[in-house]
Amino acid sequence: MTASKTAARQIEAPMKTSWITIAAISTFLAALPLAGQSPRTPEGKPDLQGVWTNATVTPLERPAELGNQQFFTKEQAAQYAKRMIENGNSDRRDGGAEADVARAYNNFWRESGTKVVPTLRTSLIVDPPDGRIPALTPEAQRRAAVRAEARRLHPADGPEDRSLQERCILWPAAGPPMMPVGYNSNYQIVQGRGYVTVISEMIHDARTIPTDGSPHLPSNVRQWLGDPRGHWEGDTLVVDSTNFTDKTNFRGSGENLHLVERFTRTGPESLTYEFTVDDPASFVKPWTVQIPMTRAAGPVLEYACNEGNYAMQGILAGARAEENAKR
Amino acid sequence: MLLAAPAWAHHSFAAEFDSAKPVKLRGKVTKVEWINPHSWIHIDVPDADGKVTSWMVEGGSPNALIRRGLTKSSIPEGTEVVVDGYAAKDGSYRANGRDITLADGKKLFVGSQGSEEQSGKEQHDGK
Repeated sequence: MTASKTAARQIEAPMKTSWITIAAISTFLAALPLAGQSPRTPEGKPDLQGVWTNATVTPLERPAELGNQQFFTKEQAAQYAKRMIENGNSDRRDGGAEADVARAYNNFWRESGTKVVPTLRTSLIVDPPDGRIPALTPEAQRRAAVRAEARRLHPADGPEDRSLQERCILWPAAGPPMMPVGYNSNYQIVQGRGYVTVISEMIHDARTIPTDGSPHLPSNVRQWLGDPRGHWEGDTLVVDSTNFTDKTNFRGSGENLHLVERFTRTGPESLTYEFTVDDPASFVKPWTVQIPMTRAAGPVLEYACNEGNYAMQGILAGARAEENAKR
Repeated sequence: MLLAAPAWAHHSFAAEFDSAKPVKLRGKVTKVEWINPHSWIHIDVPDADGKVTSWMVEGGSPNALIRRGLTKSSIPEGTEVVVDGYAAKDGSYRANGRDITLADGKKLFVGSQGSEEQSGKEQHDGK
């Protein structure tokens, strides 16, 4: 592990004071273990259970104009959030007909984040320090070019040409890694003896993570969500995933992505989710993202994506209509 | 500060609807499909001669509204709505519900706009 990675794994917790306070109260009530230790399940493992949301306006990558500024001031944070809410308000009608279509439907359907992350970081990426995704390797650039060419030549010949999310197969909310999206950014974590399950509302995935020390699947078994294996390090659940497919990519990653996720309770109503993208075939160096999650009212609702996916038919029919118009 | 456009929807509306075909529809709700990935509101739209055409109007995921206590019965059958949207590229009677309002111009689901503040999320920020 590099020094910077180690630094990036230090959980930032502005809530530290209140957490200690709460822990002290909890100790007083004898409902929780010693102060300083996060809540535990009956099996004595850190208790991550509940419904959580990762909705935020903080961007994955630091906006270029912020240069090396790693943290917003409070005033900047409020101003940035205000701009993002305005920018993200789909009720606005400026920008011309194409922008109008892309905004799709009224804002009341949405459930986007309205605040920057409590750490006030200017990017969800905490390492490298520039807050930007490291450069793609030549191999990853070639793969991206092949994908772009396929999209250009065959944008909608059949459903297979469309994105995994349009096909109701995968959504970036579920990942892994799990990223905030514009609505339904909700997760429920359930723990049992020897496993942890993360239910992602989008796009209906339940990812069961063995924590029983069992090894990864053989390398010839590839899965949409990869093959997760978890273990506990103090207060943290560490999930090591491999065995991804060549049909998924996270910002340019490949099938040999090695993803390390870390879930740590930082307070009664907060949890820090962190992940490191370790994929030397795709990125010139590893990179780490930190997303504070907060307890959500829930419930996590069903998202039966194929049920009403009339849009796939509409998209393909639209492509045929455009072809016919050109003849 | 230039901001990237957020990813709006589950799928590309630009691939489904034609920005050169704006439509304004006024009609009565006949059915609400409160389903994922997107809801569909069916309306019967009479023309000047009284001939009725049935349109399907695409909205968003119902989940966020359900969390705010709204269901498909919040738009009962027979409700008159105005849809300002864009028609499907393939010429079928489908449109996106770019702006759906009640016939008197009031927004649907009044009081439900906004985001997680409604459902109690992020209420612990900064504490």
